[in-house]
Amino acid sequence: MISFQSLTAGYGTKHILQSLDANAKPGELIALIGPNGSGKSTLLKTLCGIITPSSGRITLNDKNFKDLSLKMRARNTAYLAQSREALPSMSVEEVVRLGRAPYRGSLGKISPEGEAAISSALSRTQSDSFKTRRFDSLSGGEQARVLLARALTVEAPVLLADEPIAALDPFYQLSMMKILKAEAASGKTVITALHDLLLAAQFADRIWIMHDGKIIADGTPKEALNAENMKTVFGIKLPKGGFRPLELAP
Amino acid sequence: MKLILLIIGTLAAILFSLFFGAANLSVGQTLQALMGHGREIDVTIIRELRLPRALLGAVIGAGLGASGAALQGYTRNPLAAPGILGFTSCAALGAVIALYFGFSQAVPFAALLGTVLGALLILQIAGPRKGASTLILAGVGVGALATALTGLIMNFAPNPWALSEIVYWLMGSLKNAELGGFLICAPLTALGILLLLFVGPDLRTLSLGEETATSLGVSLSKVRTLLIAGTALCVGSGVAIAGAIGFIGLFVPHVIRLIFGPDPMKLIPLSALGGAGFLVLADIITRTLTGPGTQLYLGILTSLIGVPFFLYLAVRETQT
Repeated sequence: MISFQSLTAGYGTKHILQSLDANAKPGELIALIGPNGSGKSTLLKTLCGIITPSSGRITLNDKNFKDLSLKMRARNTAYLAQSREALPSMSVEEVVRLGRAPYRGSLGKISPEGEAAISSALSRTQSDSFKTRRFDSLSGGEQARVLLARALTVEAPVLLADEPIAALDPFYQLSMMKILKAEAASGKTVITALHDLLLAAQFADRIWIMHDGKIIADGTPKEALNAENMKTVFGIKLPKGGFRPLELAP
Repeated sequence: MKLILLIIGTLAAILFSLFFGAANLSVGQTLQALMGHGREIDVTIIRELRLPRALLGAVIGAGLGASGAALQGYTRNPLAAPGILGFTSCAALGAVIALYFGFSQAVPFAALLGTVLGALLILQIAGPRKGASTLILAGVGVGALATALTGLIMNFAPNPWALSEIVYWLMGSLKNAELGGFLICAPLTALGILLLLFVGPDLRTLSLGEETATSLGVSLSKVRTLLIAGTALCVGSGVAIAGAIGFIGLFVPHVIRLIFGPDPMKLIPLSALGGAGFLVLADIITRTLTGPGTQLYLGILTSLIGVPFFLYLAVRETQT
């Protein structure tokens, strides 16, 4: 369970997030939607400790996030960044192994549980078939799955994903969303920023709509994705009959 | 296998360098003298001149190689090196100030002090913004300032002898190597390399980008502080004893990366080994190329090898 109260944060003196309150339970997939610049990335970065809030409080299973060490934060909140940086000639497996960094001793050895987490994450993201290949030789869709595997390797109860399906084709978008859904179903809290309203409606248990640094709607897809919010936040019309789900071909 | 070859190569270079010098000693005489047998003069030449020189070269090369590898890993920029980040210039400025006032004995301490002050200034300017790019900018700026001040001091050198002393010192050389220098330089460099090895695992995580690394529990400010302290110790102690020896920190990690792959954690110790071997070899070349007259300075030779390589990298970098 992760929650935040009166959370205000930003870069330097510029406040992007303005006094936010919300909570996310285990087993929930929350889609964070909103226009560019509305504060989605800033919220995710604040929740995993990359940005320090200027005021307000984040609570993680009844513990104040501020009181946790860097390592403990890292073990509790896994973060999947938007960018796809990795050393050019690193192999897929080497990239995924970096997810065990919060557990590493000074000599960098990975424990047997760590090894199990790595191979499980590779198989949950269907990446084990190309785990020996170089990361930069993969397609964008495969790279996205490998970086997701890297985040899953942390085995944190909270997964924060920043537009994990941006720039992917429909097949990979759907398969990534299915993996995220399965992670939530296994008891994790998954909060993911999305631009695709259709997939948000299809997969999310709850939707947070961000607008100008505030969460202006928090509810089921049906409640949140109403005509009023579509108009004021995105300047678009709600499609006739609502957003309809996509399916993979048999 | 490649590692064993690297270790053997470095050790061989150190041993090999004992055979070169002004005095003409045969292989047998050299080995005997190394063991403490044979003529007293030979023992003195090998044990008090050539051996300290070889060991000092190895230590300085190791420090430069390790700090270059660490800086390249941290900035994820193949052009980063202790020289480019201003450390060498700051050390040189400290030493030149000591030479200007005629305190030749104080040169090592002045160079170390120059590096430490320069490193603190760089950290101060880079400020709370923890990104690698601000560190490069601060380093380049402080380095340029130190170079300008060095020029100013040479400009106002009190007499031609002081000036020539400064100029020769800036060329870098192991010719004045002695056991005392080694005893100052070795522990400081060892401590510096240890600090750099300590950040190795974090550098590996940083290859995912600064934000992801932070989310994985890497403290960017801790990494930066250890990196600056380690580099300052390696470069400062090296420059303090042997003057400005350029481009090893740039050149060696690249060669090592081509052979052993890009893992920044492994590159630090391997570049230390490679740097040690390379500097000792370069020093052998300066001794064999030197005729009876003016000798070839080590810093000149390493730069002559390093600069074309640097240009090659810069061009390749902009083409891809």
